[in-house]
Amino acid sequence: MAVEAKLSHTAAMILQAISAGYVYGFSIMETTGLPSGTVYPAMRRLERDDLIRSQWERQSIADAEQRPPRKYYKLTATGRSTLEASRKRYPLLERLMPTEEARSV
Amino acid sequence: MKSPSDVAFSALQRTALHTASLLVPSSERVGWSTEWFSELWHVRRSYADIAEKISLQSQGEITLFCLGAFTDALCVREIALKSGARHAHIHGSAARTLLWLSAILLLCLLIASLLPGVQAEKEAARFLINPNALIISEAADRSSKPSIPVGLYLNWKYTHQRFFQDLAFYHVTRETALSGSARISWKVARSSTNLFSLIGVPLKFAFDDKSGLPSVVLSHEAWMTSFAGDPSVTGKILRIGHANARIAGVAPAAAWRLPGAPDVWLLQADTQMAIDLPFRTPGYLIAQLSSRGQDAMQQSDNGISAHNLEDLLIDLSGTPINAPIEGPWNLYEFALFLALVALPAVSSVSLGETHMTSHRASIRESLSRFLFLACKFVLVAGIGLFASFDIAYCSTSSFSPAAECLQLVSCFAICLIGFRWALADQRHRCPVCLRRVTNPASVGLASRTFLGWNGTEMICMGGHTLLHVPALPTSWFSDQRWLYLDSSWQFLFADSGIG
Repeated sequence: MAVEAKLSHTAAMILQAISAGYVYGFSIMETTGLPSGTVYPAMRRLERDDLIRSQWERQSIADAEQRPPRKYYKLTATGRSTLEASRKRYPLLERLMPTEEARSV
Repeated sequence: MKSPSDVAFSALQRTALHTASLLVPSSERVGWSTEWFSELWHVRRSYADIAEKISLQSQGEITLFCLGAFTDALCVREIALKSGARHAHIHGSAARTLLWLSAILLLCLLIASLLPGVQAEKEAARFLINPNALIISEAADRSSKPSIPVGLYLNWKYTHQRFFQDLAFYHVTRETALSGSARISWKVARSSTNLFSLIGVPLKFAFDDKSGLPSVVLSHEAWMTSFAGDPSVTGKILRIGHANARIAGVAPAAAWRLPGAPDVWLLQADTQMAIDLPFRTPGYLIAQLSSRGQDAMQQSDNGISAHNLEDLLIDLSGTPINAPIEGPWNLYEFALFLALVALPAVSSVSLGETHMTSHRASIRESLSRFLFLACKFVLVAGIGLFASFDIAYCSTSSFSPAAECLQLVSCFAICLIGFRWALADQRHRCPVCLRRVTNPASVGLASRTFLGWNGTEMICMGGHTLLHVPALPTSWFSDQRWLYLDSSWQFLFADSGIG
């Protein structure tokens, strides 16, 4: 797949972060250490390539917690398979940010 | 309570996000802004301490976070543009054509609104000259030379006249005027104070002077060239000859062209004129005819008789003040009419509606096709109006008959060419989706015309129709024909659903 072959280390890190449960922009920034000017554009491109999908949080949840709603990101099926391929390409990726499954083991 | 630095940083961060949002395409701006402002709220929250205060270092980091929004906004913009480019193969859509025409129209309108000559022509056509006001000259001298002595004017004005209800007079000389430190050489018309009221032309930026100084009225040209069209010029004092005078107003653009083409009018009381001008100084006489004078003029081919200073009977002729009858709108209507009349001579008005199949266009398709053509005609007509203004008045800042002529010719040419294009374009529009047919392919051989047709085939990229245009019209294939494609063709077209 063309997208898999082109996936940069940054994009792979962001995919890994989302997979690890960091599902909004600022948390991805914090966990990857990347600046906002890198993380958000990368997420736009990943969403354009159907590797991730965004969804707005329900207003009622945000209202209950007295804060603005957030936009959450999650991996698509293509994103998951691309991340699998990227882990082979960047073996340290999983060690940087273990996924939820890995952490629970 | 928030500290002033917190308020300032917060305002700076929000301004940065608002500014960045301007880079995002409008269709995605709201969602983009909501996400970034939400993130900003959470980022600020995460940096705030228990007392809800944010250190200066943290404020700097938050501001850096906000600056990243610019990169993101540019990225969103780039993605949107590329997505738009993906649809660029929607060749020649109707909306795009109308958008282009509208953009050209707006550009022409903008240029026309900035040209001073266009304003002058509009102004020139706005005033109705008193139809009973005539320029009176001796019949022996029908030229535009001044022929009536000031003494005769004063004599007639202050004695009872059968033919004249009111009289105005002016005498033109070249004089030097001082405006501040600038010396200007003007053709100054020393005229009676009632000149403008008699002609029926109101002054622009009229200044009511109570100081008793003589009044000066600037011509539109003098106002534009010597004062750069400054509206606050009225009320200023000029020195003309040996006397001071106050600018009382600006005469509207020369729709009415008084002979002698004065640059300024120095309005003087008759007593002052009698002092300043020798008794036999010739000038121009403007007269408002009485009903008896009008009858006399009609009966004797614009000629009447009156006694001169020597009590001899002289023949006088009356010339209407040279006001253009045609305003810009009349010219435009005439040019538009001519273009519509000439259109069948330069292009076939047939829209090539012949079909190869029994397919009949729905009412909606027919209506949208007709509306599209009508829109193109309206926009072309609008472009013709404003572009002709631009062409006619790009090099002249005042009304002139030459500019009017140029306006008429250019408007006719633009409308004719534009209408011809609109019809030709319409013939190559798919009747279903109004997209221009494309990919022309030459079919058949000209040498085998009698065995089969030869011409050009074009296809709608939406997969709706195929257009056959004969290279050589024959009795059995004279006009272009549309072939409606059935669903079996759809797999060939990637964007078949778009139309």
